[in-house]
Amino acid sequence: MAELNQPPYPTVLKPYGQSLVALAKERDDVLCLTGDLSKQCEIDLFADAYPERFIHAGMAEANMMGVAGALARDGFVPYVHTFGTFATRRPLDQVINAIAFPNLKVRIMGFMPGVSSPGGPSHQAIDDVALMRAVPNMTVVDVADAVEGRQVASAIVDVDGPVYVRLKRGEIPVIFGADHRLRLDRAQPLTPPGGDVALLASGMMVAPALAAARLLGSHGVDVSVVNVPVIKPLDAATVIAAATAAKVVVTAENHTVVGGLGSAVAEVVAEAGLGRPLRRVGLRDTFAEGARTGPYLFGAYGLSTQALADAAWTALGRRDRVPVATVAAAEEGEYSPV
Amino acid sequence: MTRVSDLGTHWEVTDPARLATMIRLRALRMVAPHGFGYLGQALSSAEQLAALFTVMRPGLDRLVCSPSHYVIGFFAAAAELGILSEDDAETYGQDGSPIEAIGTERSPVMDYTCGSLGQGLSAAAGFALADRLKGKDRRTFAFISDGELEEGQIWEAAMFAGHHRLNRLTVLLDANNSQVDGPVDTITTIEPIAAKWQAFGWTAQDIDGHDVDAVIKALAGAAEGDQPYVLINRTSTRHGLDCLPADADGHFIKLPPELAAAAEAELTGRLERRDG
Repeated sequence: MAELNQPPYPTVLKPYGQSLVALAKERDDVLCLTGDLSKQCEIDLFADAYPERFIHAGMAEANMMGVAGALARDGFVPYVHTFGTFATRRPLDQVINAIAFPNLKVRIMGFMPGVSSPGGPSHQAIDDVALMRAVPNMTVVDVADAVEGRQVASAIVDVDGPVYVRLKRGEIPVIFGADHRLRLDRAQPLTPPGGDVALLASGMMVAPALAAARLLGSHGVDVSVVNVPVIKPLDAATVIAAATAAKVVVTAENHTVVGGLGSAVAEVVAEAGLGRPLRRVGLRDTFAEGARTGPYLFGAYGLSTQALADAAWTALGRRDRVPVATVAAAEEGEYSPV
Repeated sequence: MTRVSDLGTHWEVTDPARLATMIRLRALRMVAPHGFGYLGQALSSAEQLAALFTVMRPGLDRLVCSPSHYVIGFFAAAAELGILSEDDAETYGQDGSPIEAIGTERSPVMDYTCGSLGQGLSAAAGFALADRLKGKDRRTFAFISDGELEEGQIWEAAMFAGHHRLNRLTVLLDANNSQVDGPVDTITTIEPIAAKWQAFGWTAQDIDGHDVDAVIKALAGAAEGDQPYVLINRTSTRHGLDCLPADADGHFIKLPPELAAAAEAELTGRLERRDG
């Protein structure tokens, strides 16, 4: 089984930004585009290392996507950076027509997923996975930690078509061991197969999924946690295997439950005719709000360890009291899911 | 909670220059508990906001804040003028508060704001068009920022308003040369600003945005022509707070307790001396 750290997780800064610089050293076709927000997207490192391959497009996302498409037509591999909302909502028409339909190798890096931003609905990418998943040719990736964040740039560089990646901003937790490999073709069981609950999680919900599995396990409920970094194309075989082995299926995403991981899993499980009860944990078809902190929003909008335990408990038809989750205390520089 | 154009809303500005300093002080007190925040936006816009609330007709004219990171200044002005309660202003940016740091649909005071940049001018043009269609004697004031000029939608809106000669629409453009990655002019050349708007059918004037009397005079006469009007206000994100370090990040100022105390002393001292 996967080697996993235990919460509170250590954190690191700019694992993606460092890896993009390393990739650019090997690959002179890699370009870095930014729509402002360069430090926030970790690419101030790239600007320092390769200023001639760093292109500042200003706050002009529609134009940036059109330019990136043409750069890809001429053989470059542009990595385009901004917050997830501004990468998907505003330039959606340009992403579709200038990048996805011609199936070009543009890598769209959307930072600050879901309610990890306390900046309110305009800054909270709660629908980016759904938007990008609906676009033909697009690969959609939601990485879980710094180990995957460090690998994603090179993992996607040769994908034959556009890729959208969600990346957490700021302090990035280290959940996986050093031997962990991000694979675009496989979802990964992180725990031994559990006979009760298949808990499928992506991105920032992997940490609370592991915590919920530990909590439920200590109360006699067997949970298998599957890390699903690639939401499209979804690894249907692994999803079906996990769902088949369990009584119920729970999905966990830092995103609306409409159109993201939960929807993708529901489609696969239904088409396979498995007939497993399914609970989707995510934002309940609602916008969130501005706040002081992201963790407050994870609690307020049902993205907590407790919310996952509740979902599994009710899916199993349990009428007794749900085990109560406790949050691992985190010092400065550490990360614990709520 | 109230919006400025709500029927029955009332306020009065007696000393615009003093109001600008009070906006700075209140914004400082709203940011200080967080230790960082959008104080630079309040510093660069304080005189423009003081002028705006001096010229606007309460309970009638409409107000758009396009770059929502600036709402701190609008909230501060509204709290000073009794439009927003002091208790509500104190919850700025806190968990569970509707007084969000990046303004949203539910924010009080403004008739429209949007945290995704470059969208407010379209709404302002829509308000001005609605008033024309309904035959209402109403003005719409839109506050926008120079960084927003990088977004294409601003120019779509500018062309639309120019074409329709929406002369009841008045824009305050905060030209503070600041965006997240640094000075605007190092990232995108937006000059000549006035000539661009003029070419799109607007009347444009370029002034010192910290000269509150000049801003008031310009705004008061702005609706008298037959074109929409843009006032380009040259400003600084550090204006009116001498204690800020020279390298303070104008988009997101760090405010440790010692600096907050120094800023508080500077601004309260200025108000006590009655020179600002």
